[in-house]
Amino acid sequence: MTNLRYIRNGLPILFLTTILIGIGVSSSLQAGESNAMKNLSPEKVADFIHAIVEADRHVYTTHIVERMQEQGVVMAREDWENKSAIPLPAQFLHISSKLVAESGHGIRFRLISLWPIYRRNGPATGFERQALEKLSLDTNTPQRGIVSTGKKRLFQAIYADTAVNDTCITCHNAHPLSPKRDFRKGDLMGAIVVTIPLED
Amino acid sequence: MLLVGTLPLVIGLVLAFYQGTQEIREVNGSSFEALATETARKIDLVIADELARTALLSTDVNIVKELERNRDALSEMNPQERALTLQQEQKAWNAKAAGMLKKTLEGPFADILQSHVGGTFIDPGHPIPVITRSATRGLFITDRAGRVVASLDSDIPYLHHEEAWWKGAFHNGVGQPYMGQVAFDSHLGVYTFTLSLPIMDSLRYEAIGVLHRIYDAKEFFAPSIDIIRFGKTGHVMLIDSRGVVLSCPILPTGTSISDTRLIPLVTPLHSGWTLAPSDGHGGTEASIIGFAPLSNTRQITQMSTGQTWHMFVWQSSEEVFAPIEHFFKWTSAFGLLGVAMLVTLGYIAANRITAPIRRLQEAAQQIGRGEYREPIELSTGDEIEELADEVNRMNQQLASQFAGLESQVELKAQEVKYLEESTIKILDNVPDPVLMIGPNEQIEYLNKASREAFAVNNGEIIGTPLFQIFPLDPATQDRLKQEIQAVQVREPLSSGSTQDNVSNTTLQDPLNPTNWAHSGTNRQELRINQRTFRYRWFGVQARPGRGPSAGLVLRDTTEESILQDRIIQGEKLASLGVMSAGIGHELNNPLVGVIGLGEAIQEETDPEQIKEYARGIVQHGKRMASVVRDFTGQSGKQLPEGQTAINLNELLEQSLSTVKGIFPSVPVEIQTHFGPIPPIQGKVLELSQTFINILTNAFQAMKQGGKLDISTEKSGEELEIRFRDTGTGISPTHLPRVFDPFFTTKGQGEGSGLGLTVAYRIINKLGGHIRMESEGNKGTTCLITLPVTNAPLARERSSTS
Repeated sequence: MTNLRYIRNGLPILFLTTILIGIGVSSSLQAGESNAMKNLSPEKVADFIHAIVEADRHVYTTHIVERMQEQGVVMAREDWENKSAIPLPAQFLHISSKLVAESGHGIRFRLISLWPIYRRNGPATGFERQALEKLSLDTNTPQRGIVSTGKKRLFQAIYADTAVNDTCITCHNAHPLSPKRDFRKGDLMGAIVVTIPLED
Repeated sequence: MLLVGTLPLVIGLVLAFYQGTQEIREVNGSSFEALATETARKIDLVIADELARTALLSTDVNIVKELERNRDALSEMNPQERALTLQQEQKAWNAKAAGMLKKTLEGPFADILQSHVGGTFIDPGHPIPVITRSATRGLFITDRAGRVVASLDSDIPYLHHEEAWWKGAFHNGVGQPYMGQVAFDSHLGVYTFTLSLPIMDSLRYEAIGVLHRIYDAKEFFAPSIDIIRFGKTGHVMLIDSRGVVLSCPILPTGTSISDTRLIPLVTPLHSGWTLAPSDGHGGTEASIIGFAPLSNTRQITQMSTGQTWHMFVWQSSEEVFAPIEHFFKWTSAFGLLGVAMLVTLGYIAANRITAPIRRLQEAAQQIGRGEYREPIELSTGDEIEELADEVNRMNQQLASQFAGLESQVELKAQEVKYLEESTIKILDNVPDPVLMIGPNEQIEYLNKASREAFAVNNGEIIGTPLFQIFPLDPATQDRLKQEIQAVQVREPLSSGSTQDNVSNTTLQDPLNPTNWAHSGTNRQELRINQRTFRYRWFGVQARPGRGPSAGLVLRDTTEESILQDRIIQGEKLASLGVMSAGIGHELNNPLVGVIGLGEAIQEETDPEQIKEYARGIVQHGKRMASVVRDFTGQSGKQLPEGQTAINLNELLEQSLSTVKGIFPSVPVEIQTHFGPIPPIQGKVLELSQTFINILTNAFQAMKQGGKLDISTEKSGEELEIRFRDTGTGISPTHLPRVFDPFFTTKGQGEGSGLGLTVAYRIINKLGGHIRMESEGNKGTTCLITLPVTNAPLARERSSTS
């Protein structure tokens, strides 16, 4: 339970802290030196956020989930809230994402896929769909663009999310709601979308 | 017996009931849990389905676009403008301004809502129109500011941004689903729960509105829950973690379960079953309740209101345990029937089996005791009857055998009685006292002579100590005790010793000095009350179960001693007479010669002739002197009563010479064969008296002449002296009595009848034997045997009498 609680509360907070530090840095830069602020492009912020998100998920996946499962301490499973289990790496990202959104700084990130287990995780816009399609051809080049909702304009960077370890593949290939079940290591599974509001 | 039989039955029944109850509890608990889990899953799916369908509405492109515009419009206003606008619009709404109502209730969104609820809405992914539930009691959309932008009806407030559901679903623009708890809607008059979904912008970046839907809780869940019924009372119920009923076929929605104690028992976050103290439906009976949380729905409800929803499966205990109770009742009934049958069959069995066996048992016991009984009449027609027949046969055989035995026993008893009586009679007629001494010197029996001798009554004296009637000095008492002990110890040990006892217990002849002399060495003489008794012990086999006994025979020898002294005196006188006669006879012949020669000297003148006659007189005198010397010489050399070494051959010659002198005219041819024999210890006078008596008898038997053989020889350790005459012999009738005192066949003056008696006594005293043999009138043989070493000789009787 201690582990679980640590995972449920501790890790996202740790994660959040790193993000806030990042944002805080950018804020202070905005306040202090406008030139420096101008140099801090949304692309870089998005890259920075993406790097942190991916690093955190990697740490969680490799050093927590896999180790705990190997040692038989606790399993990661989708219905972790009802069982003695810990969240799946994807759920970890969702929870982090929600916490970041709830922090009220406007920056959002989420996972999307052309083969989502739940439809809500499908591409929300044409841009996202196109980005996924492009990424499936070239995983190394993030898709970036400015999108709008109504009059609101936002910067989006979409990074390829490939199957880097067995946990992801096993789960997606076995899940009854999964539309695609032939993922292999290195395959593109989806993308991480980082959304940053552009102030008018 | 019956109790022993029924007790296990009752215990078994109770155990079976207990075990059955346990198992039914387990099985039903598990079933209830499974049903709860299954139903929870089903409701989860129903809710998830409803969420998904409602979500279609919340993602409607037109709605999203409109709400985006709405957002942009609001964001362009400054706060004052915005507050004013909202205030004005709210007023208009409250006043049911036609424009407001029209926009809200009849606008394009309202159509979407209507078509969705009405069932004509077509999901882009689905070709079939979605049939929404009729449970929807309200459906409206609010924008980012909480204003109603579209609704199915106007009976709702205009601004909702302060509502919990609105805040929950909007979630500061992040947006998350919200499910409100069950509450009574006073406007609708029903218990409702609400579902609020955020409407996200087209980028799913932020919430731009909230879709709010109100459901009649009962109507929503009843189709899924109320139909699940099993048995008469078994059903499924949906409650929230407060214990409030969302749907139940029995309890009305919105009520709480009757027993709040149940809430923590049935609302854990896992499925299970419990034996609850009540049923939650007003019943107070302990109940089995299965439960399971709505796991998926929980993710929303817990986030929204902190509550969880749970399935609750229950069936009345009466019904649950009805089968086991029926089983128990029936088993009890059958058990009672069984007991009744047991009693009946037991009674029959007792009549048919036990009773006959009891009778057989009694009969066997009676037969065993030897009581003859009438034959057993059994007609069971089975083995018992055969057994009874066998017992009867056995009884008859035993009876016949017993009859023989009884008569034999009777006969034996009579014999024993006869023996006892005759023994007592014999013993009573024995002139000598006979006593039986038991352990501790207690008197067991006295014969008549004893009773008379010691002047006691038989009945009084039995059991008293011996020495109470025998006033004896302590030394003698000790001696007698030792003797009694010796006899008592010896007797039971060795029956072989009885032979010895027989010889020992031979009643002693008072004229048999040898045995008495032996006895004398053991001092077997008692003086009681101025009387002298000789006594003998004899062993008696102990009676079964009693201590060893010793028999005591006493003989009053007081009179006998006197008589014996007289006999000996008489016998001495008789012997003296014989000897005097012999001496007289011996002296008479030379005396006649002396007288004749003396007369001749008187008339003879011739001196030579006179000298011749004188020489004759001297010769005769010398002969007379020799005769006197012969009779007196030996006695003069030793004391008359003393013992000396005696040459039997010489003594026989002298005795023969004496007897020949007594019977000078009897023409007896005498032959002597004297062998070389050693001298023996004895009294000359007694032995010569013995020989003279025997020889006298021989001469008297051969008055008409005959032949007498006298022989001596040593044979082993004995000396044999044999006198064989050819006289008249002794008739067989007289032969056994020849040693009896005063028995004689001779004429008056010829014999005293004591000669052989004395001879017998003397020889016995010397440890020898004397025997007379005769074959009719062919003569008599007297055989005397004497031990070579007959010393030490017994003490003289005279010393003790």
